[in-house]
Amino acid sequence: MHRKVAFIIGKKRLKRNVAFTISIYILVAFSIIAIFSPVLTPYDPYTITGTPLEKPSMGHILGTNDLGQDIFSRLIYGTGITLFVGFVGGGLAILIGTFVGIVSGYYGGVIDEFITRGIDLLMVIPMFPLLLVLASFLEVSMTRISILMGILGWTMFARVIRSQVLSLSEYNFIYGAKAMGASDSYIMIKHILPNILPLIIVKFVFAVQTYMIMGVGLGFLGLGDPTTISWGQMINRAYTNGGFALGMWWWLLPPGLIIAFLSIALSLGGYSLEDKINPRLRREIEIS
Amino acid sequence: MSLLRIIGLKAYFPTQDGIVKAVNTVDLEIEKNERVGLIGETGCGKTVLGFAIMRLLQPSTNIEGRIMYNGKDLLKLSEEEMRKIRGKEIAMIFQNPPTFLNPVLKIGYQIAESTQLHQGLDKKAAKEKAVGMLEAVKIPLSSKRVSEYPHQFSGGMKERAMIAMGLACDPSLIIADEPTKGLDITIKMQIVKLMKEVTRQGSMLFITHDLGVAAEICDNIAVMYAGELVEYAKTEDIFKNPMHPYTRGFLNSLPSRGLKQIRGISPSLIDLPSGCRFHPRCDHIEEVCKNWHPEMVECDKGHYVRCLQYG
Amino acid sequence: MRIEYVIKRLFYCFLAFFVGISITFVILHLMPGDYISHLLINIESTISPEASEAFKHKFGLDKSLTEQYFIYIDNLLQGDWGYSFEYGVPILNIVVEKLRWTLILLIPATLLSLLIGVFIGAYFGWKSGSKLDLSVLNVMIFIRAIPSYWWALMFVLIFGFYLGLFPLGGYMGIGVLESGTDYLDILHHSLLPMITLTLCSIPGNYYLMRNSMLLTVGEDYIITARGKGLSEKDILFKHTVKNAMLPMVTMITLELVFMISGSVFIETIFSWPGMGMLMIDAMNARDLPLLQGIFLMDTLLIIIANFTADMLYSCIDPRVKVGE
Ligand SMILES: Nc1ncnc2c1ncn2[C@@H]1O[C@H](COP(=O)(O)OP(=O)(O)O)[C@@H](O)[C@H]1O
Ligand SMILES: [Mg+2]
Repeated sequence: MHRKVAFIIGKKRLKRNVAFTISIYILVAFSIIAIFSPVLTPYDPYTITGTPLEKPSMGHILGTNDLGQDIFSRLIYGTGITLFVGFVGGGLAILIGTFVGIVSGYYGGVIDEFITRGIDLLMVIPMFPLLLVLASFLEVSMTRISILMGILGWTMFARVIRSQVLSLSEYNFIYGAKAMGASDSYIMIKHILPNILPLIIVKFVFAVQTYMIMGVGLGFLGLGDPTTISWGQMINRAYTNGGFALGMWWWLLPPGLIIAFLSIALSLGGYSLEDKINPRLRREIEIS
Repeated sequence: MSLLRIIGLKAYFPTQDGIVKAVNTVDLEIEKNERVGLIGETGCGKTVLGFAIMRLLQPSTNIEGRIMYNGKDLLKLSEEEMRKIRGKEIAMIFQNPPTFLNPVLKIGYQIAESTQLHQGLDKKAAKEKAVGMLEAVKIPLSSKRVSEYPHQFSGGMKERAMIAMGLACDPSLIIADEPTKGLDITIKMQIVKLMKEVTRQGSMLFITHDLGVAAEICDNIAVMYAGELVEYAKTEDIFKNPMHPYTRGFLNSLPSRGLKQIRGISPSLIDLPSGCRFHPRCDHIEEVCKNWHPEMVECDKGHYVRCLQYG
Repeated sequence: MRIEYVIKRLFYCFLAFFVGISITFVILHLMPGDYISHLLINIESTISPEASEAFKHKFGLDKSLTEQYFIYIDNLLQGDWGYSFEYGVPILNIVVEKLRWTLILLIPATLLSLLIGVFIGAYFGWKSGSKLDLSVLNVMIFIRAIPSYWWALMFVLIFGFYLGLFPLGGYMGIGVLESGTDYLDILHHSLLPMITLTLCSIPGNYYLMRNSMLLTVGEDYIITARGKGLSEKDILFKHTVKNAMLPMVTMITLELVFMISGSVFIETIFSWPGMGMLMIDAMNARDLPLLQGIFLMDTLLIIIANFTADMLYSCIDPRVKVGE
């Protein structure tokens, strides 16, 4: 008699589908902006094209910052790095997490025990502070920082994937494939991976969202490559160099609103996807 | 006046795939001190019928008909009034104790709960009563067991605990839903013996798909197929003189009679066959069976059948 | 009777603690750029090689990494967390002092967000499917999606800057110099960051609790409870909430980790003198021992949360086997 849950999800399904489509469109739009930012910007974001602290005008839609650079152009240019950090960092975390999770859940026994305990131990390390320290000491490019983020953040995903694989391994088709003499790697790729793919995609969407926010956050804290234009860095600059005290909302608000907007879009996409994958799966994810 | 009288009961579940017609125009009577067996294949609607009597089906279910209990129609009672009947006057022993027992509450607490609620016992008295109930269902060391959790009980003991929970308030009617399912044969026989003993007084609707067990316990047997009753008679009549082809098939599938399975599979409750529900699997099919839906008719005294052979 | 289990968990905690600090020690000491050379860049002057050597000798930096590691562990076991390069005082003192400030925010925020999140989640998990439920769900998704630092900035801007209801940052007013510590004043300063931290943590708790409730409500034993004639209230409080809380307990650790990350931003934005600010300071100054101390404290907090979760879980869920 577990059908109550399924019913509710059924009713919501339609609305959620719309949300998902919208969030895909938004993502595509942002990607286009990122790719074509040199064409879309009225000014070069690095050069001084006006007097400092100009108000919004026809010349500078969002005014200029304290150096006299065009804020709108910088905003456009910041899109790419935000998406990049989200997709590379989130993608890497999911990739490692999926690999470890599948291996752990599929082999079980000693290997599983070893990996699970290992993850338990890793989880006591404060990863976010560690990321900050690494980012600040190594003074590396955003690419490397994204990779670092992925490497530091996979443990959660490995856990979720593992418990999902574990519940799959009890099914007959796995036994069947084993009995037919299929190799382990064949079973993992051909039988297990497709079955957990919906879950992986959902987790990927949320990971991208989290990592985008985190990437902007690092910029806000003044970390990362100072020569790459990023929304975080823009917020930081506006906040510390007077945009705040002078009440220049057109300087402070746009980068923050835009990351919030992107994040909401992705998160709606993630939740609607989560609704789509079947309720039984849901059950296991939440309990794990 | 009979204790329970079900008239034209229907229970339909609207689902995404269509309407599941789980219970279809069921008429059934249970007298005081009578034990009626309800048998049928898995998925034919037995549990849903039990739930309908208890009014435990989810609110989205379409229910029609009347369920007269002591002259009152249960379907017309308010939720508040119904609550006073559940557990106290009509109690259900649920099908699958491992999932129907709350894993984080003590067995004793789960038994004591209804006596505290309906009989106004205080905590201490309720606990003593729970110990007594566990003793009554033959659980050894009951005063210790009462403080244990479901996972510490074996399968047979969970079933006993479930029975104890159902009986705790001396209900006038017990609905026992397959209490012997999944138990091995020795434990099954113990439970059957126990059920016979503890329900000597009071009425019972005994749901099972095990005819042997029903024969042991019940005075009358109702046979259910695809959401409707197809035969109703005294237990010995069902065994000596089964009339409906389905009942006969069911009997032939008993181990003592050669384990002959009925051919075909039970129909989907969403797309029910036209005419007689059983015709696609019946060996005595005639043309008329395909479009004519037979009514229940009394062939012998107290022996009802839903089959055109007897119409 | 559970002693064995407790001891096992404690042992595991020690192991985790040891592994955790060892990993951070190695990572921190492999970082390029030491304190002295970094200091020199900042003050744009030179320092004699002798002085630099003397500094290194004083802090034991002239020894090999392995040697330093064992000295560090040995000191730790004696309760000595080392000295900060920058402040020249025992790290334990600084960290404990800053931790107090962080906890002033963290403890009320955690409790409050748990309480509110669990309550709302439990209610709408129980009464799911209504219009209100869907709106609340969407609002929560919205709150969660907006970064914590953006909430913080907006709150400062609106409630501090425009409305002037709260101070823009810091932990005490200027008046403290004359009048001594004023607890009301501290409370006034702490309110906005606390609210921000609470707000950002509510959706996570809510979502988990709601889902957990949805699953629990669909469980068969809820039907049993209804079949006994229990009232909806009794079913909710006695049969559903406790079961639905179980997955929440396992999330305590993750919740804390989330809060630690969040408080770095909140403290920076509100200039709140806690662990997060201390870390940014130590990072900018390349104060390795201090950073190590901060990691030590964070690790300790996470392990304590872990242990608490284990103990709580074994109390609520009788199925946790003794000694497992
Ligand atoms: N809540 C529900 N929603 C939809 N279909 C249901 C629901 N509950 C039961 N059913 C369907 O009703 C039919 C009868 O179920 P049940 O009464 O449990 O059978 P059984 O005779 O084995 O006890 C089954 O086909 C089942 O799938
Ligand atoms: Mg059943």
